[in-house]
Amino acid sequence: MSTLVKVARYHLVQPHLYLVLAWGVLAFSFAVNLAVYALVPAGHHPVAAAGSVPDGRYTAALASIFIYFLVLGVNSTGRWLPFGLALGVSRRTYYTGTALLATVLACVDGLALALLQVIERATNGWGVQIGFFRIPYLLDGPWYLTWLSSFVGLALLFVYGMWYSIVFRRWGLIGTIAFTAAQVTVLLVAALLVTWARGWTGVGHFFTSLTAAGLTGLLAVLAVALLVGGQATIRRATI
Amino acid sequence: MTPVIAVDGLTRRYRDQVALDDVSFELAEGTITGLLGRNGAGKTTLLRILAGQEFPSSGSVRVLGAPPAENDAVLQRMVFVREDQAYPDIKVRHALRAASWFYPNWDADLARSVAADFDLRPDKAIKKLSRGLRSALGITIGLAARTEVTLFDEPYAGLDAVARQIFYDRLLADYAERPRTILLSTHLIDEASALFESVVVIDRGRVVLEAAADGLRGVATTVSGPALAVEDFTAGRAVWNRRRLGSQASVVAVGPLDEAARVRARSLGLDLAPLTLQQLVVHAASSPQAGEPETADPEGVSA
Repeated sequence: MSTLVKVARYHLVQPHLYLVLAWGVLAFSFAVNLAVYALVPAGHHPVAAAGSVPDGRYTAALASIFIYFLVLGVNSTGRWLPFGLALGVSRRTYYTGTALLATVLACVDGLALALLQVIERATNGWGVQIGFFRIPYLLDGPWYLTWLSSFVGLALLFVYGMWYSIVFRRWGLIGTIAFTAAQVTVLLVAALLVTWARGWTGVGHFFTSLTAAGLTGLLAVLAVALLVGGQATIRRATI
Repeated sequence: MTPVIAVDGLTRRYRDQVALDDVSFELAEGTITGLLGRNGAGKTTLLRILAGQEFPSSGSVRVLGAPPAENDAVLQRMVFVREDQAYPDIKVRHALRAASWFYPNWDADLARSVAADFDLRPDKAIKKLSRGLRSALGITIGLAARTEVTLFDEPYAGLDAVARQIFYDRLLADYAERPRTILLSTHLIDEASALFESVVVIDRGRVVLEAAADGLRGVATTVSGPALAVEDFTAGRAVWNRRRLGSQASVVAVGPLDEAARVRARSLGLDLAPLTLQQLVVHAASSPQAGEPETADPEGVSA
């Protein structure tokens, strides 16, 4: 058994954390939404086409599983790191093994989300015309695109979570705050530069012409960059 | 034969202090060595660097022939049992199961048996264990891993005297069955002194004594009795530590005492007691020359 697989198994030594809870949270959220929207009739909203979701009946509750992956990412390199390293692996191997687990998990869960979206369309929003597994623009296309977008989104959030744990371990609370502030600063500087160069129309064009697939591609690039950077950052972390 | 652990000029500096200062020593294969010293001497820092959990500021560290930091091949052949090991929110059996995957020589029967000795129940959540049982878990993993290099950093925190004796007995028994290189740091020196084949004493980040344990026994003797007789007997010998109370005196005489000297001491009515390892370490760590490395040799020790 390769060491990377051993690290992945280490995280799964108590399976419910990674395999069950995400879906438990989502299932609960789904049940609540279903109950609420079953009470609100869709009748008075104009229905554009059979099978589409009337305005106002999209929920954003799918975010719960994405947030959960962020939490899993933080946890995986937080509380689980010291004992993982005590089992005789380098930080590099631990990180890569954890990333491997995250990738497989994101792939499987993304597929499940895509399938649920297909069923939702087929049942006309679970019989009450809600858009739980469909999100306009982001997750509203063919099932394979939904799978890809979900996969990238979940993986990105997991890696982002890992970053926070690593930063916290290396530089403490102040470091973590600085890390967040740095990100905000980067965005701010970018906005200032664009304003100074009067480039907002160009930016607007770019984003309006960006398809969901294009956005997914961008996020994938970001995820890979974070992944590589995370491995470099964890190398000097001490436990 | 290449030493299993070779440390040369190791220094570890933090922003406001030097934790290890030019530490050099070597450990041969298949020995049990005691790493002794006061609290804050640098024992834990040294062990963490050997285990690849900390990084040296300068100097070289080689375990099994290569630097241990970020080196999977070396780390897999080594286990580090530390007193403050942090575990995730899992149960004892999960920790043991995970360890069984990572250590190729893992002995599940030994793990079960050691855990039973310590009354460590597999289904308990680790975060709910008492300090002693957490130490017991660390010891269980450390022994059952049966790695070539085993590092212990005061592994018996919270263990009572009975449990500590279980640890020593189990350690020796498994070591006899499967020899390995063991480095055990402790400040309960006399209790563990029977285990050690060699000792390394660290004080304020420097090695102050590195010797075979056998060579140290008999290196100094406490001579006590009537003050004049003591003075007479120890004339011309190197001494540490003179103490006097009224007409009685107690002096630590350095150097081996042959049979003739012993007979003479008896005839003078003097009491001879060999210095224990603990007393020796206390002296080595607290003497004014504690800043300089001192290698004890059986022929005689300069005070």
